[in-house]
Amino acid sequence: MAKEPEKPSTEQESGETLTRRKMLAWITGMGVFGSVTVSAFSNFVFIKPRVTYGQPNRFSIGKPEAFPPGSRMTLDTRRICVVRDGNRIAAISTTCTHLGCIVATSETGFACPCHGSHYDQDGNVTGGPAPRALPWYQVSLAPNGELEVDKDIEIEPGIYLNV
Amino acid sequence: MSNQTSARPWSFITDLPSNIWRSIFRNPLPDSDHGRSATSFTNFFLHMQPVKVHRHSLRLTYTWGLGLISLFLFLILAVTGVLLMFYYVPSTTQAYDRMLDLRGTVAFGIFLRNMHRWAAHGMVAVVFLHMCRVFLTGAYKKPREFNWVVGVGLFLLTMFSSFTGYLLPWDQLAFWAITVGTSIASYAPVFGKDVKFLLLGDSSVGQEALLRFYVLHVAVLPILVTLLVAIHFWRVRKDGGLSRPREEDEVFPMPEVEPAVMVAAASGAGATIAVAAPKPSLKAALQQKLYGIQGIVRGPFTKIGNVPDKTVFSWPNLVRAELLVFLITVAGVLIVSLYFNAPLEEPVNIMHPPNPAKAPWYFLGLQEMVSYSAFWGGVGIPTIEVIILLLAPYLDRKPGGVGKWFARERLLANSLFMTFVVVNIVLMMIGTFFRGPNWEFVSPW
Repeated sequence: MAKEPEKPSTEQESGETLTRRKMLAWITGMGVFGSVTVSAFSNFVFIKPRVTYGQPNRFSIGKPEAFPPGSRMTLDTRRICVVRDGNRIAAISTTCTHLGCIVATSETGFACPCHGSHYDQDGNVTGGPAPRALPWYQVSLAPNGELEVDKDIEIEPGIYLNV
Repeated sequence: MSNQTSARPWSFITDLPSNIWRSIFRNPLPDSDHGRSATSFTNFFLHMQPVKVHRHSLRLTYTWGLGLISLFLFLILAVTGVLLMFYYVPSTTQAYDRMLDLRGTVAFGIFLRNMHRWAAHGMVAVVFLHMCRVFLTGAYKKPREFNWVVGVGLFLLTMFSSFTGYLLPWDQLAFWAITVGTSIASYAPVFGKDVKFLLLGDSSVGQEALLRFYVLHVAVLPILVTLLVAIHFWRVRKDGGLSRPREEDEVFPMPEVEPAVMVAAASGAGATIAVAAPKPSLKAALQQKLYGIQGIVRGPFTKIGNVPDKTVFSWPNLVRAELLVFLITVAGVLIVSLYFNAPLEEPVNIMHPPNPAKAPWYFLGLQEMVSYSAFWGGVGIPTIEVIILLLAPYLDRKPGGVGKWFARERLLANSLFMTFVVVNIVLMMIGTFFRGPNWEFVSPW
């Protein structure tokens, strides 16, 4: 820094020449910029949780006998509705596809209290701002005879599990 | 003086109170112009203000004190917020009980919570009104464009602070408002889902979300607001004080006696300094040294010396006005907090959303739009509105009509802005009063 005034102005005019000072300044600048970028990125990595402490997405809902034929039982803590039609069982989400409220069962299917979306018995949108149908989740029979729902796996609506 | 001290050997004790006082407040109450300048210069809190302030800036009917009220509400929020932190625990099992404790056992607990809640509502409203004032008087125009941008940032931070605070009582209102609000964020293209996950720290609102909102509410956002407020105020000074009509800055003929030093700040980068002193005497040099730094500010002209103009000394004129606004603000918050209790609904019941589930009143316009389309109502239109607000000073470059309410030259800009305001208020009213269970149209009568 102290030597700066001694430098002749010719260097500034011919900006093309790469002096040692310019090279060092450029490397330092890139180093600072890179460090800032990396630390900003690592902050995002930090605040994105690796484990979550909420409910697991794959869980048991009990024996098939708990759901009598023809019943539609909502498990509000799990946010699903277990539908049993004869010997076929399916799990439909009760989280509104609009903005995440819990839909309530109504005579015609499901109705959302937050923004007035309506769904039919199979979860298809029949009214309101909901952009898509309620998803169906995979239901499987675990070796211990209990039903297992996996909310990470969405299946085609209308696919039931025969029990 | 030295004779007197030797005459009274214990004078360092008898003079102790006045010595301490004078070490803190270096000036006696001023009785001259020099004293009034010195008072402004030597006091930490007063030196943020100019020594002299334009009469136009002191007009109540020009500013309505809205910016100051916003600041004072923020201070009230900071003080009551810190006090509430002594009793609050950001835990899903304890938060609601702590709310009940504030009601039942903590001394002044309910009162502090009321003050915090009503000041928060007030701040959202007053910051918005302040923005309306600035727009309708054309105060965002050159050289104040960037300060308008900072102001829009402060408005958004105010909303976000309020939104994060909304979850903390962990009651039904809180839980469902945040469930809906963060779902709106997830509709944003590309990053929407990630933003929601980062905000909540989980796939749905729970303990992680409560902790995150708490940290944002009590640490991150207040620091950002403080920083932006500092920049906002600094820019007000550096942009030549509050906006005013051009004719308010007419330069008066300079007096013959005692040549004044006049600093004409160029609107661009360099500032040209014209010294009207006949020859560089010691006095003129001193004047330049004393006033030079304060003189170089943006704005048409900054006058130094006793040039007749329309400015008055900040002490006591501006200080008195600020104190008055402060007293009115505090009194208003206290009175409202005495008569109205902050609402607290039932504790969170994840299984049963209230019907209808409504966001706080200032988000009900948003929620009304969301009931038509989640993307356009919750993300698309608000984003476009914010971008237009941010760009307003860069789109509207006509210099006319600054410093007057509803200036004729600004009829188009003001009409557009008023349309924006009225549409948003109407949507808010519909969401507040005309929406019942299942968000169906109901009549409030």
